[in-house]
Formats: sequence, structure tokens, C-alpha cells
Amino acid sequence: MNSHQGRLAVLLVGLVALATLPFWAHDPYQVHLATLIGAYWILVAGLNLVVGYTGLLSIGHVGLLAIGSYAFAILVDHHGANPYVAMLAAGAIGGVCGFILGLPSLRLPGFYFAMATMAFSMIVSEFLLAQDSLTGGGAGIAVPGFNKPFDTPNGLFWLVMLIAAFVTWLTWNVSRLMWGRAMIALRDSDVAAAAVGVPVFSIKLIVYTFSGVTAAVAGALFGSLQSYVTPETFHFELGLFFFICIVIGGRGAIIGPLLGTIVLTALPEVVAPLAKLGQFFYGALLLLVVLLVPEGIGNLVKIVREKIRPRRLEKHVVAPDLARLAAAIGNRSAS
Amino acid sequence: MLTALITGLAIGALYAAAALAYNVMYSTSKVLSVTTGHIFMVSGVVGAYLIGELKLPTVVGFFGAAAAGVVFGLITEFVAIRRVLARSDEHLWLLSTLALATIIQQGVGLWWGTEPKPFPRLIPQDFTAGIWDQKFWLPIATVAVLMVGLELFYRRTLFGKIFIAVSEDAFAARARGVATDRVRAISYAIAGLLGGIAGFAAGQLTYAYFALGLSLTLNGFIALAVGGLGSNMGAVVGGIVLGLLTSIATFYFGGAYQQTIAVGLLMTFLLVKPEGLFGDKRTRHV
Amino acid sequence: MFRREVVSRLLVAAGALSAAALLPSPAQAQETIKIGWLSSLTGALSSAAIAENQGVQFAIDEINKAGGINGKKLELLTRDTTGDPTKAVNLANQLIHSDKAVAIIGPVNSGESLATVPVVAKAGIPNIIIGTVDELTDPVKYPRAFRVISTNEQWIRSANAYATKTLKRSKVALIGDTTGYGVASTKKAAALLEEQGIKPVYSVVVDPNKTSLTEEMTKAREAGADVVMPWTAATGLLARILNARGDMQWNVPVVGHPAIMGTPIRALLNAPTYWENTFSVGYASTTYGPDKKLPPATQKLMDEIRPKLGGKIDFTFWWVAMGYDTVKVLEHAIKTAGSTDPAAIQAALEKTQNLKGVYSPSYSWGPKERNGFPDAGIAINRASTFNEGSFERAPQ
Repeated sequence: MNSHQGRLAVLLVGLVALATLPFWAHDPYQVHLATLIGAYWILVAGLNLVVGYTGLLSIGHVGLLAIGSYAFAILVDHHGANPYVAMLAAGAIGGVCGFILGLPSLRLPGFYFAMATMAFSMIVSEFLLAQDSLTGGGAGIAVPGFNKPFDTPNGLFWLVMLIAAFVTWLTWNVSRLMWGRAMIALRDSDVAAAAVGVPVFSIKLIVYTFSGVTAAVAGALFGSLQSYVTPETFHFELGLFFFICIVIGGRGAIIGPLLGTIVLTALPEVVAPLAKLGQFFYGALLLLVVLLVPEGIGNLVKIVREKIRPRRLEKHVVAPDLARLAAAIGNRSAS
Repeated sequence: MLTALITGLAIGALYAAAALAYNVMYSTSKVLSVTTGHIFMVSGVVGAYLIGELKLPTVVGFFGAAAAGVVFGLITEFVAIRRVLARSDEHLWLLSTLALATIIQQGVGLWWGTEPKPFPRLIPQDFTAGIWDQKFWLPIATVAVLMVGLELFYRRTLFGKIFIAVSEDAFAARARGVATDRVRAISYAIAGLLGGIAGFAAGQLTYAYFALGLSLTLNGFIALAVGGLGSNMGAVVGGIVLGLLTSIATFYFGGAYQQTIAVGLLMTFLLVKPEGLFGDKRTRHV
Repeated sequence: MFRREVVSRLLVAAGALSAAALLPSPAQAQETIKIGWLSSLTGALSSAAIAENQGVQFAIDEINKAGGINGKKLELLTRDTTGDPTKAVNLANQLIHSDKAVAIIGPVNSGESLATVPVVAKAGIPNIIIGTVDELTDPVKYPRAFRVISTNEQWIRSANAYATKTLKRSKVALIGDTTGYGVASTKKAAALLEEQGIKPVYSVVVDPNKTSLTEEMTKAREAGADVVMPWTAATGLLARILNARGDMQWNVPVVGHPAIMGTPIRALLNAPTYWENTFSVGYASTTYGPDKKLPPATQKLMDEIRPKLGGKIDFTFWWVAMGYDTVKVLEHAIKTAGSTDPAAIQAALEKTQNLKGVYSPSYSWGPKERNGFPDAGIAINRASTFNEGSFERAPQ
């Protein structure tokens, strides 16, 4: 079995394990957690293109998540729309918001852009609170579930997995083809990239809009999972959390942020019994990882693999083929 | 209305101090630290603790708070900046300063409590003084003094000139024998001192509250962006503009859209004049 | 190609990690009655949560020392929700599915409660509600959610009644904060006043950390207000309202949210006299009678729990009493039901009438009634009379 087939088999096993998770998980809580991770991952996958590949410091995506949740809830509850259509519509709204936010902000340098996105998420919060006839204000809004066949908790899990797989496949394709290189070129040196003809602003805007769509879709699914959202659900720290998942996981990869999302979502649940000290340790852990493993956990695995089983570098001796050279010259001089 | 103006000036002075601290830290490290707002929180809490709870004299409280700010600035540089800068990655210092900010906020919350606690009266004064109350003019006067002090430091002292040299061209400074690492550490200490003094002066306005940091970080940044990165005059003007704008807007429209207005100011400037009122047009070597 | 290898290996690793994380924990014999406690020990409203936690822990210990319920000990599973609704939902799910709690107390925060109540209800687990937001209980939607604390509407009605009927004021100024609770309560207060035919002369919501309330109080005064009613739980904001009133030397009564009599306020006031002429919604159980004595049940609990609190009671005591009562209510329900079966607990609580408690003189629920606190249990207190967690009654 060559490595290509081996890789495929491994992938298949992983997917089967995920697909059957509700059956071998211990209890519905773990299905809930897995669904949450899946919903987060949909947002993070899109955001990964923005942060991990293009290198933009977007810390306010929680605002787009909120817009997705509320748009979905309002469309289904107040206007009786079909949930699947509503989810797509929420995605479209998220894309438009991402576009509108990105248009003025993407030209700004790093920290400025970060603050602009943070400010955006705060404005969304204020707006949700103040417009209470539309959003329920501080009391929040109930988020309906989906229709058959996805109307049970397991059903929702599968829906989320389907969409997550689709988004992952999309982003993976984008990343490994020409656009991926363009984005990485942008991240590492946008001046050089522009000099080589990479359409800097267009790529940034398109990628950012795409991340708005995924964030809003994730918001619809997240809201449905929570079954009830309030403006407080979308607090600023959540936006930071998504950003952290990508950086901790490792930029420039798909697997790294996926790992990062899984670990960071599951971590507070493990830390939960610590009660008061939870947040403190979370910050300390973040600092440790940033200082000690700045490449990210995903790359840490690569580094450890290298140490355990270093890739053997083949020695290529570069020597001129004199006979052939002589023949070529000889032919020439002869004619 | 007059009170709204004075309150706006006072809180604007606090934002200006945060912007000044940003400037000082940025000048030597090209880093905008998320921990800027937390310096003020730490010094306010320490000041309230020393004077209010330990009942030490005001002077001791003042030096204690300033020292706390300096120490926190040094910690920021040592823990969050030094190692990270070597990698010259934009994300990482944002993350490390963010992590440090979370740690300090949670740590103070665990020790001090999560409710705002009183900041003691520094100068005996009747509370019916209205707009002449010290909680307004203490921050305003302090920040004015700090700004003048900072300018004098940069222009008149040798150390200040070394700072300017490092901020303009770190390589050249290093080539001339300046220990840029140490200069950077000292600049963070100075930013901590700035924050420490200003946070102490503004304590009566804000109360000693563990969650002040993030809001000051954002608003201080807005002041900085409006005024122009790198300009101290801009920092002060930006802070005052922001403070007055939010105060007057809240006076007329109520508090429901306060953040939106502040951010609206930020976005307007970033679109129309991204380098701020007094900043230089930012050029980059390519 | 090397990278693809890494990618696929990492996928396996991720799958293995997730599997490991989700591995079933070893089965335990159900020797204890597990009670979940969702509390925001850090974050917003933490002082209330911490005090309530004291009461809950004390009740659990007391019951266990007496042998538990029907021979089984109680096991308290405390989870810090940090004021985050998403975390609260996660932890609620964890308590229900992973830890197999038979009942859940809390959360403390209304924002978190709004998110967790539907989740707990869907799982059919009994939920003792200690948030005040009115929408938290509904006999049809959430049949197993029973509220122990008074409702927000009860608070607002009592305050309005005191301001308009006892103090005989009619020009009301409402001040709320920009949180969900503040905005909703201010609206509710205005609506309930309009039922009495009173329209507020001034109404505003402000950021809870706004540094000075002088402008708002000046505007209220100019609008001719003769009573100021704040609806916010933010101690900083409440203190600033009182400070503004005092600095302006405006002798208007302030009637409002229970937090205005909390101990942190005292320290934040510019002068102790600023607490005069301030009245707060409070409880008969923590109000001194004309004989300067507390109700016997309250006094008993206070004396018993005082050593655990460090000898001094430095905070609002009804939080502690309420925490204590939540556990006692569950004890009553389980004893009456004879088991921890959720349906039996629901039936037991629906039948409960006049259950004596410490925080409330009596709790009564019914098949269509999920709010157990009686209107008579609320008393208006004078804010400045804090003494060991309780207060004097406001002049009638």
C-alpha cells in the first residue's frame, strides 16, 4: 500500500469515527460539545484564511457570529422562513457585513485593523441590546432548531459535521492552490506580493467576505445548538478565542487550527472544576504557549516528528556529464 | 452641561494618558500593547489598597502606585515583548500582551474582588464642590504635567535623546553603542510610570475596579489613532476630543450607543485621515 | 508530499485525541444524590453568587451531617460559569449528561439563566431558579423549573408601591444601566407605573461604568422629579447616583434595586449621610422588627453559619438565606417524592403550599404557578441601616 492510499485510508477512518460519534460517545453532553466544536470550527475555518494565511489580525469575528445567530432566529421565528433557507440567508447577510466592514478597514495596518474589528463587535453588541423590538434586547431571543432529518441533537451534530466538512474541503482547496500561495505571500510581505502582481486588496476583501459567510452560518448553527442567545453570549472574549485558536494551532495550515479549536474548546470543560481560577489559568496557558511554542501546536507535532524520525536527505552529487558535453561541443565545432 | 464638559475633559485626560503610554512603548518596540489600559487599573487598585485599606499616608500610596505601574511595565516588556520581538511576527505580541492582560486582570480580580471599591480622597475637600471637585481636575492637571514632563525628558535629557534615536532608527542606535534592549525596557518602565501616576490621579473618577483595563486599552487606542501615532501632542488632543465627544453625546442621546459613537469617531478618522491629526504620514521601507 | 503525510497523521492524532477526550469515565455506584450548582463565582454578580454559595454549601453540609436524605448523602457539584451564557449551557449539559445531576440550582445571572433554563427543561431535569428575570419560569414551557427568588416584577411593583403610595410621589425619574437587565427593568418599571396612570418625567439608561451621574441627576431635577428610582445591579453606578444627589444637595428620596443597600456602596459614598433617604427593595426575612429582632428562622441560620463566614456577616444576608433555602426546597421535594425521579419531584413541588423557609416565610407553587415567593415576603428597607446583613424597615 503506497503512501497515497495509506493517507486516504487514514482520512477515511477519521471521517467514519467522526460520523459515528453519537454512537460511541459516552453521553449527550459530549455530543453537545462535539457539535459546539464543529460550529466553532466552521467559523474558524473561514477565519483561518483571514488570520492564518493572509495574516490579518481580526479579533472581532464574534460580531459576525452574532449577526448570523440573530438573523437566523429572526428569519425563522418572526418570518416563518425555512431553517435551511434562513441559514443560507444568514450566511449571505454575514458576507455582506464582512464586505462592508472590510472595505474601509482592510487598508489599515495591523493593530489598527485589529482594533477596528474589536470595535465592530462592540457596536454589534450595543445594537443588539438597544434594538429590542427586533432582537429582544437584553432578554435575548430563542433560536429554533432545524427540520427533519436534523431536528434531534444527533441530527444537529451531523448537519454541523456535514457543513464543517464542506467548508474544510473548500478552504483546503483554496489554501493549497494558487490562492493559498498568494495569501501566504501577502502575509509575509505584502509589498513583495504586490510587486509580483498579487491583487492585494481584492484577495483580502474576498477572503474576508468569505469568512463573514462562514461566521454567519456558524452563528446560525451555534444559535440552534444553544437554543437561546442573548447579547451577552457574544462577548468580546469569544472573538479573541477564535483568533487564539488559529494562532495556537499554527498558521498556514488547516489541521493546526482544527486542533487548536478542539483543544481550546474542550479545555474549559476540563478546567471547569477549578471554578474561580479557570480564567486565570487559561490566560497563563496562553502565555506559555505563545512564549514556548509560537509556531503553534500543529507545527509542534511536525517538529517532534522531525526529531524522532528525521527525514533522510538524499545526497545528490552534482557532476557534469563530460562525455555528453564533449559530444555536443564536438558536434558544433564539426558543423 | 458644564458638568458633562468637565467630566469629558477629565475622562479625556485619562484616555490621553493611555495614548501617551502607547506612544512611549511604541517608540522603542513598535508594539502596541494590550496591557496599556491595565497599568491604570493596577495603580488605581494598589493606591486604593495602600491608602484605603492599609491606611498609609497619601504620599506612600502615591509612590506605591507609581512603583506598581513601573513594575508592571517592566514585566510586560520582559515577559510579553522581549522574546516575542525576536521573531518579528505581528500576531505574537498581540497574543502575548493579551495573555498577560488576561492574567493580570483575573489575578487582580481574585485578590481585590470583582466589585468596584472606593478610591480614597487624596486632598481634603468638601464634596459639594461641583465642577471644581478634585476627581475632575486631578487627572487633568496630572496629565498636563506628565505631558510637559515627557516633552522635557525627550528634548532636554540625554536619555530622552537616546530614546528618540532608538525610535527613529534602532539599527543605527545599536551601531552607535546604545543598548537597545535596555532602552526598550526602560521605556516600558516609563510608560508604566505614566500609567501609574495617571491611574492614581484618576482613581476617584473610576473607582478601584479590576475590569477597567480593556475599556481603557480600546479608548486609549482610539485617542491615539485620532491624534496620530507617535505624536504626544496628538495623544493629548485625541484623548480630549474622544472624552468630550462621548460625554456630550451621552448628555444629549443617553448611553445606549456610547461605544458606537466612540467607534464612529475612530472609523471616521481612519478613513479620512488615517495618520491622525498630528501623525506623520507613515512610510515604510520596502 | 511530506506535508500531506503529516496532515493525514495529524488527522488521526486529532481523531484519537478527541476520542480520548470523550472516553467514558468509569462507572460509579449511585451512592450520592448529585446536585448541580451553576454559579458565577467570578465575573458579573460574583458577590451575590459567592454569598449564595455559602448558603448552599452550609445547607448541604447540614443535611449530610444529619444523615442525608433517605440515607443517601448529597453531593454538590459546583461549576463556575464566569457570567458567560455559552459556558453556562456547556456546564449545564455537563452536569445533566456527564455528571448525572438529579437537579440543578441556578445560574445566578439572568443572562445565563435565559440560556440554560430551556436546555435543562429539555432534559427534563428539575431546575431551581434564582434569577429574577420574569421570563425564566413558565409552567407550560419549563414544567420542572421552580423559582425560589422573588421575580423582578415583584421587586418593581413593591418599589413603585412604596414610592407612589407610601411616599406619595408622582414625578418619577428612572435610571437604568445599559445591560440587558437594566434596559428591560427600566422599561418594565415605566410600564407598571403607567398602569397606575403615572408617566415618568425622566428616564435614561447609562453605561454602568460611567464616571459621573451629575448630568443625569441634574436633568432629573430640572424635569421636576420628586423620586429617583434606579434599576441596576452595578454598585459603581448606584454609588455615583447617591453621590451625585448628595453633592448637588438635592434631598430627593431614592427607591430602587436591592443592590443599593449592599455593603460595597457604603465604602463608595462620599459621605455616610448620602445613604440617608434611600430605600431599597428588601425582604421581611432580613428586616429588623420593631423589637429590633430578626425573624427567628433568620436568626437561627445566622448564628449557625456565622463561624463559617469568619465571625462577621459583612454582606447582604438574604443571599445566604436564599442559597440555603434552595437546597432545603430540594430536600423537601425529594423527601416528599420519595425518590429523585424528576416527574415525582415536579409533582411534589406542584403540591407544595406554605413551605417554611428562611429567606421566604413560605413558598407555594402550584400546577400553574412556578414562582414560589409570596408578595408579602418583600419589605422595603432603609438602605443605611445595614447591620449584620439585615436592615431596618423603611418608614411606613
